[in-house]
Amino acid sequence: MAVQIDKPPGQYQSGQAGPAASEKLGDPGWAWAAYQPDAWQPWNLAQAGHLFRRAAFGADWDQLQQALSDGPQRTIDKLLRPQANIAAFNREHDEYESSTASSTDSLRAWWLRRIIQTPHPLLEKMTLFWHSHFAANGAKVKNARLMQRHVQLLRSQALNSFRALLKAISRDPAVLIWLGAEANRKALPNENFARSLMEAFTLGAGHYTKKDVREAARAFTGWFVLRGQLRYISREHDGNVKQILGQKGNFTSDDVVRIVLEQPATSRTLVRKLYRWLICETAEPDPKLIAPLAQSFAKDYDVLKLVETMLRSNLFFSRVAYRRRIKCPVEFALGIVKGLEGVVSTTQLAQDLADLGQNLYSPPTVKGWTGGRHWINSATLVRRHNLAMALLRGSGPYANKLNPWAVAKKHGCSTPESAARFLLDLFLQGDLGPDVRDALLKKIQTPAAADGDDPAGTLRRFAHEIVTLPDFHLA
Amino acid sequence: MFCNNKPQKSMTLEKVALVLLLAVFAAQSTMAAQTLPPANQWIPQDAVISLELSQPKALLELFAGEKATAAVTALPVYQKQASTPQFKEFLNVIEFLEITLDTDWRTGLSKLTGGGITFAICPEDTLILIIDAEDEHMLEQTHEIFLNIARGEAEKQGQPNRVESTQYEDVTTWTFNGKEAHAIIGKRLVIANRPEGLKAVLELRANGASENLTSKATYQAAKRAAGPDSVATVFADLLILKNIPEIAGLLEQSSNSPLAALFFAGIVEAVRDSSWLALGLHIEDNTLLFRASVDGKTVAPTSPVAFALPSKVGDGALPNLSVPRRIAALSLYRDLHQFYAAKDDLFPERTSGLIFFENMMGIFFSGRDLTNEVLIETQPEIRLVVAEQEYDPAIGTPQIKFPAFAAIFRLRHPEQFKEVAEEAWQKAVGLINFTRGQQAMPGLIIDRPFQGKTKYTVAYFSTSGIEDKTNLDSRFNVRPALAMPGEYLILSSTDGLARDLIDALHQETEQTPKPLAGTHSLVEIEGGQLASILEANRKTLIRQNMVNKGNTQEQAESATDMLISLLKFLDRAKLGIGVHEGLTRFRLELKLNLQ
Amino acid sequence: MFYTRRDFLKAALGTSTLLSFASAAPNFLVRSVMAAAPRRKERDTVLVVVQLSGGNDGLNTVVPYEDDEYARNRPTLRLPTKELHKIDSEMGLHPRMGAFARLYKEGHLSIVQGVGYPNSDRSHEGAMRIWHTADPDQPNRQTGWLGRAIDSVWNPNKTNAPAVFVGPTARPFGLNAENAIVPSIRSLRDLMTGQMPGYSNDQSQKKHAAELPRADKGNPLLGFLQHSTLNAYTNSRRIEAVAKTAANTAEYPSLALAGSFRTVAQLIRADVGIRIFFMEFSGGGIGGFDNHANQLGNHCALLHQLSESVAAFVHDLKRDKLLDRVLLMTFSEFGRTVKENGRRGTGHGAAAPVFLAGGKLKGGLIGPRPSLTDLDNGAPKFHTDFRRVYATVLDQWLGFESRTVLDRQFEPLDVLNV
Repeated sequence: MAVQIDKPPGQYQSGQAGPAASEKLGDPGWAWAAYQPDAWQPWNLAQAGHLFRRAAFGADWDQLQQALSDGPQRTIDKLLRPQANIAAFNREHDEYESSTASSTDSLRAWWLRRIIQTPHPLLEKMTLFWHSHFAANGAKVKNARLMQRHVQLLRSQALNSFRALLKAISRDPAVLIWLGAEANRKALPNENFARSLMEAFTLGAGHYTKKDVREAARAFTGWFVLRGQLRYISREHDGNVKQILGQKGNFTSDDVVRIVLEQPATSRTLVRKLYRWLICETAEPDPKLIAPLAQSFAKDYDVLKLVETMLRSNLFFSRVAYRRRIKCPVEFALGIVKGLEGVVSTTQLAQDLADLGQNLYSPPTVKGWTGGRHWINSATLVRRHNLAMALLRGSGPYANKLNPWAVAKKHGCSTPESAARFLLDLFLQGDLGPDVRDALLKKIQTPAAADGDDPAGTLRRFAHEIVTLPDFHLA
Repeated sequence: MFCNNKPQKSMTLEKVALVLLLAVFAAQSTMAAQTLPPANQWIPQDAVISLELSQPKALLELFAGEKATAAVTALPVYQKQASTPQFKEFLNVIEFLEITLDTDWRTGLSKLTGGGITFAICPEDTLILIIDAEDEHMLEQTHEIFLNIARGEAEKQGQPNRVESTQYEDVTTWTFNGKEAHAIIGKRLVIANRPEGLKAVLELRANGASENLTSKATYQAAKRAAGPDSVATVFADLLILKNIPEIAGLLEQSSNSPLAALFFAGIVEAVRDSSWLALGLHIEDNTLLFRASVDGKTVAPTSPVAFALPSKVGDGALPNLSVPRRIAALSLYRDLHQFYAAKDDLFPERTSGLIFFENMMGIFFSGRDLTNEVLIETQPEIRLVVAEQEYDPAIGTPQIKFPAFAAIFRLRHPEQFKEVAEEAWQKAVGLINFTRGQQAMPGLIIDRPFQGKTKYTVAYFSTSGIEDKTNLDSRFNVRPALAMPGEYLILSSTDGLARDLIDALHQETEQTPKPLAGTHSLVEIEGGQLASILEANRKTLIRQNMVNKGNTQEQAESATDMLISLLKFLDRAKLGIGVHEGLTRFRLELKLNLQ
Repeated sequence: MFYTRRDFLKAALGTSTLLSFASAAPNFLVRSVMAAAPRRKERDTVLVVVQLSGGNDGLNTVVPYEDDEYARNRPTLRLPTKELHKIDSEMGLHPRMGAFARLYKEGHLSIVQGVGYPNSDRSHEGAMRIWHTADPDQPNRQTGWLGRAIDSVWNPNKTNAPAVFVGPTARPFGLNAENAIVPSIRSLRDLMTGQMPGYSNDQSQKKHAAELPRADKGNPLLGFLQHSTLNAYTNSRRIEAVAKTAANTAEYPSLALAGSFRTVAQLIRADVGIRIFFMEFSGGGIGGFDNHANQLGNHCALLHQLSESVAAFVHDLKRDKLLDRVLLMTFSEFGRTVKENGRRGTGHGAAAPVFLAGGKLKGGLIGPRPSLTDLDNGAPKFHTDFRRVYATVLDQWLGFESRTVLDRQFEPLDVLNV
């Protein structure tokens, strides 16, 4: 299906390609060329907010302001290759995890805390992408240490080489247990890993046959997970010739990984999936648009390069992408937390996110989280409303860790009304139409009676009104 | 005041005001000469809870005395907090007061409150506080100072009318924020959180003959029960309190959980039947002694909770066992056979947990009836001990250090029952091993060594294949043991505690223990040892605090250290519950450590 | 007393909330909200699935009292014939299931005997997994049968929660879906929006900013969220209204299970589009029905709780004329062995009876009584594949397509009056 060209943008709508660009949206040359701000597509607060929603988990006010003065290229540079000592930060957090990792419950709390505090949010964004891609489920694996190492593996290659990642995944005890492939006997080849490898991890349905799976399963024989450890038992390996995806040879597991990576369907599937994650999930992208990126990705499977192309592109900053994704629960909650510059109880947050349908370390099926419109139903929206309330109310399990009034004051607001405008810019970057905006601001002028004239309480309620708006659920 | 969140300025002032609620305000000189009736006669009759501190100085001496102050200020946590701007501001206010009143804070506090403090909670969330100062002039001066602060603050926020005064009969009444109301009458300061509260007090004052708290029969009974020489007394009207949904829910809970029904037997029922609770506080050396009683009828022998009633005069829970590194000990008098036989009355709903328990017991005890063939073999004296573990470096040390737990039962027919228990215990270990084996996990190895003349059974996980023995995972906290010295059966989570208990029981038998007549529950907690195990797990606690509370590492450290420091101030807490002279009585002893 | 859903909701919710949209909101929004309210053309039947965790002893639930083998194999667990609630000349319900016996007489209860599948799995986990996936051949199957059913009818224009699990334990795998988010709730509160502190009461009645009408700026996702947000707040208000009005009108025994049934009844009454409710009885751990020792008292207590709670639920719905929309089915991962085990308990078995309750049942005992001598490893054999029951509720009751859920067509049972 071709990229849908929508109606011209409304006057208050930012982040839109101008009319001249409309017909270019489907042109791969223009789409993937680096975005240069111009009169039609100026670099503004809305574009900066958009970038931080996709390449990070939202931004605080200083980050938005810094981005405005840095311009798009430098901001993207910093997101891709931050200056800070990432390795040291992640080592420290690995150690935190290890010292308390008796259960996946504590792992997910530490991950959320890492996402809040990391100097390299894009790395976590991509780790989350791969977590949904490989979808290992801690409830099935039943070994927190293995799950910890699994996500560490995802992180180590998240912006690196998909080839190295896939190879490591084929030897990852957590993945093998998760897929029920912990025993691969010569006499009884286990097709579980081979099938998931082809269907979910690389080629996608329709690009392989049952026979390919059967033959690939023979190449994986000899690999076992015993008492949580990976073992290779050579006498259990089937050393005979196999025929996989048109190639014939005395293949081992590494050969299978090589062969699936040589298939053009693999890079196409991954580029399409990343397109949905970073750019737009409303419509399937035109194959024409995917082709150039898939070709270049297939050469080296360099994830960073692919992500970089997407983030810098005209398409990324066009209306094809703008607010064309529904936030997953993690993005929804952390967008509030990041914006208000706090750190909250992530033990509690992990549980609340599970109730919203995103239980970290336990994706629902081998296909990960489908997401998109499926995130939304009456129950999950009510729970998003209630989670935002718990985060913002200033007492209860999240205590007083987020305080909109204090943040607004820190950034120079002195009246509730200016603070309200500040919050609108912080969370929605002026995306609201004047009707909704005015109705909202009117609420500030008539404070609730119960807590008299306490601006902190008024601003808490106001922030809650903002983050429960339909617009805020869109990334 | 060690609050982690930054309070805003106005908040700080409010807090200071609260801390020095014990201080405050200006008086009418005309009132100076009058003698005032006891403060409790100014408390409305409908008060739900009243607290009367008749000797505030005794408490001040203990908590604000040189020793305590030195101990607190020596804490690293205190020193850290003392360097924060909020704390400095607080100290400045105190210093200002000291200079203006020409006194030191300790003397000032004592002069401002020395005549007694009375506090009452009345319906509709009305709170009344009456403070009797020793030094009328100082009271007046303090009020003046706070009046000025409040006026300044109100003007700064553009609401100068917030601070105002009115004349009520012959008394000037004040409000600093438009909500609270207070007045000074001679040496007495009366504060209420709402004007209605103050009005009620002033009406009682004007109309001396009218009904006040002291004319209420339940109050009088409670007062008698609390005794005359208490430093402080508390009266609670249970008839009203029991109607509060949260409390009603709490009382209900015991019928939902078998364990709650077992532990809180007799207590919940007594509270449910009572119309008042009385509590008296005594201070001896560094020990706070609370004696509380309720007036509810004691449980009838036919009641389902009679299993917690010492059946003969002189019966009762045994003294607790002392073992090295003991954190807590609990001694109960509970007839388990009678308890389980009454299960349908005590906890009518069969939960899956209960059924699972019965299933397992059925398997371990080879189909014997749990009530009539197993529990009947135990005597009502049951003891539980919790102790910090000592790890053998040759075996290894777990990263997270759990305490050891043990339960000690007294058997009716030890000779017949010993093998039955041993078999059941080994079956349980076997089942665990079989299940773990199915999941390819290492199992427990059974050994039967001696401690003195007692042969006991221990099951343990081997650490021989593990290289780093300093960082073991949590299962190495558990080395379950079964020991049956004499007429006792010890079920312990570790062999170390089992051995200590064998020795402790041996000693106890030599001295023939005397039951604590009438007492059915006795809990003891050692503050220092509890602090010690928290300290051993400090790193883990800090990290849990970080993810559980969203704190920074520094915040988590000071919260954890604060808890540890506070526990160190507690030498021992001891709570005994029993029936004496027809009343259910609670005796709580808090021995403080102010070294 | 309310006689129809529409009357009830009108009284409970007031028309004002809905009508107030009319003045300001664009037409399509008013339509979509009104559409969720009373008159619907599509099917609005509700399925309530009750899982009996641990493996229910079918033989001591629906008792073949005339069969000598029963008495011979159950020396201590045998239930006295004269105390049974006889349903025909051979079979009787457990003595503590008087409430079920009454429902059976009223035609609100059917019993499908001998339900199971070939090569029965005897482990709790394995067998439960099979009942949840409805796929004995693929132990690694990633979705539950109800999860697939929910996904199969997904429609982006209907954003009601499709199904909920009601109870204190973890959500059973049967609801695991590839796409849909199926919530677990403990009480109605979990489906109601809370109120930020500081609002005075009259303000709580006011609309959220999220409900204000606005243009969707050509963004289909914004339109979608606008519509679903409106629907979510409307549903929340309906539940709130029901919680306020109906809290004390129906009598339920004070049991945890009955409390969950009350919650389900209130959600049905609120009419918020939930088609499937899942409940677990005696779950948490292995499950209370797993009576390896001293079975008699425990099993007796559980069956009593089950029948009393279901009966209260049925009567509550019947009084509000909602019963015709509701079908309840029970299941357990397996039955138990015919012979008791020496500890006054029983072992893991195979086939067991399934109870159906509701307003549109043909009633009676369905399928022949399983033999007590021709056994599957010591336990009664199955004759009705459990997926035939699933196909019945999917095709005939919910109006879904069972073939897409179960991968092939199973023959539905002739048990419903639809």
